[in-house]
Amino acid sequence: MEAGQEPPFAATGAPVLQHSRFHRLSDRWAHLAFLACSLLVVGLIGGILFFLASRGLAAFWPVAGNTGRTLSLSEVFLSTDWAPSSDHFGIVPFIAGSLGVTGLALLIAAPAGILTGVFIAKLAPTWMRNLMRQVMDLLVGIPSVVYGIFGLTVVLPFVSGTWLAEAPASGFAVAALILAVMIVPTIVSLSTDAFESLPTSLDEGAQALGSSRWQAIWHVLIPAARPRLLTAAVLGLGRAIGEAMAVQMVIGNNPQWMALMRESTDRAPFLRALFTPAATLTTELVQELPNTPAGSPWNNVLFAMGLLLYLLTMVLILATRRLGRGKEA
Amino acid sequence: MLTPTLPETKPIKLSVRNMAFSYGTKKVLDGLSMDIHAERVTAIIGPSGCGKSTFLKCFNRIHEVSSTVNVSGDMLIDGVDIYRGGIDEVDLRRRVGMVFQKPNPFPKSIYENVAFGPRLFGVTDRSSLDGIVEDALRKAALWDEVKDRLKESATGMSGGQQQRLCIARALAVNPEVLLMDEPCSALDPIATAKIEDLITDLKENLTIVIVTHNMQQAARVSDYTAFFWLGRLVEMDLTERIFTTPRVQMTEDYITGRFG
Repeated sequence: MEAGQEPPFAATGAPVLQHSRFHRLSDRWAHLAFLACSLLVVGLIGGILFFLASRGLAAFWPVAGNTGRTLSLSEVFLSTDWAPSSDHFGIVPFIAGSLGVTGLALLIAAPAGILTGVFIAKLAPTWMRNLMRQVMDLLVGIPSVVYGIFGLTVVLPFVSGTWLAEAPASGFAVAALILAVMIVPTIVSLSTDAFESLPTSLDEGAQALGSSRWQAIWHVLIPAARPRLLTAAVLGLGRAIGEAMAVQMVIGNNPQWMALMRESTDRAPFLRALFTPAATLTTELVQELPNTPAGSPWNNVLFAMGLLLYLLTMVLILATRRLGRGKEA
Repeated sequence: MLTPTLPETKPIKLSVRNMAFSYGTKKVLDGLSMDIHAERVTAIIGPSGCGKSTFLKCFNRIHEVSSTVNVSGDMLIDGVDIYRGGIDEVDLRRRVGMVFQKPNPFPKSIYENVAFGPRLFGVTDRSSLDGIVEDALRKAALWDEVKDRLKESATGMSGGQQQRLCIARALAVNPEVLLMDEPCSALDPIATAKIEDLITDLKENLTIVIVTHNMQQAARVSDYTAFFWLGRLVEMDLTERIFTTPRVQMTEDYITGRFG
């Protein structure tokens, strides 16, 4: 027999086994069905991007369907003046608002989440570990509007009643706090996984050299888990930057917040900014998109903001992939 | 009588009297007594599950990291009880270093791995650290191989190099005792030979206790050998006697491969 040739079944005397026609046919159909489903999903995502881009970019090109003037890139992306009724379309306040509120939220949520992850994975007794994991998984699934209600009815009145008797408390501080509470469970879950996946030999090795529990965690475990912790933080950031509902309920929705800041003569401008009603890309979209006529510059700019959000999220997802790959290298 | 009878010039470093060890209600070690001499290599052999690794980990209390354990009887280092003598466990672990079954370098540079211990104990001065790192790497016979790539990651080294790095890391805090828990079980024969040579060099000024499942290794590197079976010490004697004229039949059966 030639090398590499399978002996035919018949040669061994066994009956020749063959798939029935039906089997082969249904395999073909299944293949097509799977292909169709995946094409549909890819098509939907592509379609959304195309739709957003075509409407968003229409702000800057004179295309059919536009009902107003064509805007320049600089008057949209470099101006802090948002007053659509007087023909000003600067979206810097929203970009700054989105970055500010998510940055602040991450500043609160990342350390809290990572340390909780250490606690669950390395310090908590077994019963508490199981309980905490389940609680975190539940918290991830709570709809954001619930967090918003909590912020609106509990946190805001508490903050204005306690520290700021004269001013409304809505603004970055409370919005960031609510966002932080929202993304902490995600960061906790992922960082718990990160610490649990580290070999115990690292922990033992550090402590065998005379590290205290805390020194082993700080000097060995956290650095060893760093790529996965970064991934956790970026995923949290991705969830925070796209969040509209909870933020809209507590941030105050004031597109002119930057102008307000400029005029203020406060001696602690940063603190003042924390409690100034502001707006973000998402909150502004939710507020205004339903009320603007299609094809108007106002409407087009809102789509451009949506496109910007889409691209920002995309960059974050790609960054997560990159970080995830870094851990294997 | 389970202690060797040859004249011994080195002092007793570690001393165990009627020691028992349990996880919860499960008794793992019972009725153990032995003396371990300074500047000697003591090997602990026995079939898997006989408690030899558990016993080793009692000397630096490292099992306390992951579980609640109960040790009764006496375990002394220089005459002071490890568990009840008021020794701080961090200080104990500085004095009693450990090398594990699988090399466990930290995901840091070669230099930072060795400098880790000294830094913990407050050495921050760069030139002292450099000196300690070089000295430890030389003692671990690794300096010539890594001196030009101290800044590279330790996880990129071969298994044998990683294990010698772990030995260097343990030596950098200047321990009095070195515990080795099957240090060659993950290594190839050449790397194993290097570690064995190293053990012989290191006993000049260290007390070494090595757990091994490899009887040839015990015969090659150790001065004393203790044979464990089911959590008990069956026999302990000079290595050459254990391997030529053991007093207990069970020891002979194990060494000649009749069980285990």
